[in-house]
Amino acid sequence: MLSPVQLYCWHFMSYPYLPDDFDETQETGWVKVPNTLWDRQRSRGLYRQYIDQLAYASELGFDGMVLNEHHQNIYGLMPSPNIIAAALAHRTQRGKIVVLGNLLPLHGNPLRVAEEYAMLDNMSDGRLIAGFAPGSGPETFNYDAPSAVSRDQFWEAVDLIHRAWTEPGPFAFEGQHYPLRYVNPWPQPTQTPHPPIWIPGARSRDTLVQIAKKGYCYFLSSRSHGKGTANSVAQFGRVLEQHGDRYQPYRMGILMSTYVGETDEIAQKESREGIWYFLRNCLKGHQRRVGRQLTFGPGIPYIPTSEFRDYLKNSDPTQPLLGDTEDWDDLQRSQSIIVGSPDTVYRRFMDILEQAPVGHLLIQFHMGNMPDENARKSMRLFWTEVAPRLKAASGKLFAEQFKGMEEKMQLELTK
Amino acid sequence: MSAREINVKGRKVTLIEEGTGEPIVYLHGFADVHGVAGDLLAFHRNLAGAGKLIVPAHPGCNGSDELEDGYSVEDVVFHYLELFDVLNLKQFTLVGHCAGGWIAAEIAVRHPERVKKLVLIGACGLFVPGELIEDIFMHAQPERGVDYKTLRNVLFSSSTAKDALRYFPDGRGDLDEETRRYAMLRFGSFVGFKPPYFYNRSLINRLHRAAMPALVLWGEHDHMVPRAHGEAYAKGLAGAGDLQIGTGAGHAAVLEGEAALSKAVEAFFKA
Repeated sequence: MLSPVQLYCWHFMSYPYLPDDFDETQETGWVKVPNTLWDRQRSRGLYRQYIDQLAYASELGFDGMVLNEHHQNIYGLMPSPNIIAAALAHRTQRGKIVVLGNLLPLHGNPLRVAEEYAMLDNMSDGRLIAGFAPGSGPETFNYDAPSAVSRDQFWEAVDLIHRAWTEPGPFAFEGQHYPLRYVNPWPQPTQTPHPPIWIPGARSRDTLVQIAKKGYCYFLSSRSHGKGTANSVAQFGRVLEQHGDRYQPYRMGILMSTYVGETDEIAQKESREGIWYFLRNCLKGHQRRVGRQLTFGPGIPYIPTSEFRDYLKNSDPTQPLLGDTEDWDDLQRSQSIIVGSPDTVYRRFMDILEQAPVGHLLIQFHMGNMPDENARKSMRLFWTEVAPRLKAASGKLFAEQFKGMEEKMQLELTK
Repeated sequence: MSAREINVKGRKVTLIEEGTGEPIVYLHGFADVHGVAGDLLAFHRNLAGAGKLIVPAHPGCNGSDELEDGYSVEDVVFHYLELFDVLNLKQFTLVGHCAGGWIAAEIAVRHPERVKKLVLIGACGLFVPGELIEDIFMHAQPERGVDYKTLRNVLFSSSTAKDALRYFPDGRGDLDEETRRYAMLRFGSFVGFKPPYFYNRSLINRLHRAAMPALVLWGEHDHMVPRAHGEAYAKGLAGAGDLQIGTGAGHAAVLEGEAALSKAVEAFFKA
């Protein structure tokens, strides 16, 4: 039996009603972007539209829907992804609900996350994929989570939640950050022993080691793909082998962004405005040099000093980021946002999979201020004309590359 | 000058010593020795004229080991008490700038009998309602990836001050200096990343315990720690006179207002 790539629809829920002069007049879309720009009248029904798009992905047949947590920004209007997940649990009948993830150091007591995720797993009849993330720079500023402390806090919280789902309660948790006398959450998750756990990572080797040791799935936090993605797969593979395990595609997920139209020309024409809105506005303050980027840097000193020194040695502070892209052709070359006909999109997705055999593709369809009908059309064309070919070809590719691991892959998928 | 490494309960600490006589301990800030510079600056050399100057690098800074994950200012205070034990320092003069001033004040209120004289320069550490300490972490994120203009303005009288451009240039600076700057921010994140940053709410009501002679100095254009914090220290410390202002200097008065600052400290030591 072939084990093909799993295809998910990721919605970031960006704010689509910014004024046309946003980029000229505002220094950032994050943390300090004035909320007087929020239009209360136009925003009525916005969440319904976005939730309906995710439900549409479920109806089409996507393997899952993906949500994540952000605060005080225009890029993602989900301070609480669990609320959207609860809506999806009832609105949809099939497909995984991937919350990627709750930002643990921002939650006063991680027990609350264990409880809410357990509720979601029950409400969705075992469809939850539980993501945990430490948060990055903007959240550090938003929620005053000291970045140097939050990594340590994060792994302690992960440990607490894992144990809360797997060890008989009540028990005492003697943590440094979250000491608890009684850990005994009701309800318990539907899935046994617990919902699959996914953890995002990008720069830190320590994160990979922890993921490998604990048997979790690694989500690569990067919007650009190619050599870097292949290197990350190889690096994760090495870490897994050091811990007596072996890489197979379902241990890893990546974020892709795409727009599918009938032809390359139509796809470009229909997606251009939403994509530029996304790059110029939503990424301003996050993945754009213009203004003040708050995602990584000396003011968010979460990585050890020796690692930062290596970063200084091996990086160029003037190198453009995704949001700095000036030119449409450059954007297409960067493998970050793939736009085109079903054939183009299929070939370019396969190109990435051939370089980096990753089993979970988390795909962003709605970008910036993209109209509802365009997002839905792109999803429909992707599902009907790209997905079947991707599934068939990836199943074959993985079978060749991971001979003898079929059973393990099936187990990973159904666990 | 002699830099050496000492061992404090298994932790490595980088230490610079200069001069002879009665011990003077100096605890550093951001735009300072260990915080960016690898060596003593003119202000510290003058200080060493008055006694034996001892300048440890804070945990994680300039080669010193970090404390255990998740440490707080309280842990740093005890780290220094242990360091004083290792150096057999019973009594000493204590000088601190910025975050170093905060730690100096925390030590002085706990062990007033060990601190003969106290000097605070642009010290943070107090909670003063309505007077927010500037968000140095936000400013440490460069604009366009390379522009540290606003960070320089926070630490100095202006973004174009000579020492500001020397130690916090735009673009990639000297690798060692940038690494030290990062390490100091990391130290700052452990002890002080809680809005409005770098304070202990209880400290202000404990200041009366530190009755030793004290001098509180502030740069005229301190854009990081509002002058009201200096006034609160001068009022709260029983042995302090009026707040003294370093004309023309910014927050990093140890660099910018060095000559006037050295003079004021010398006069205070002689009095």
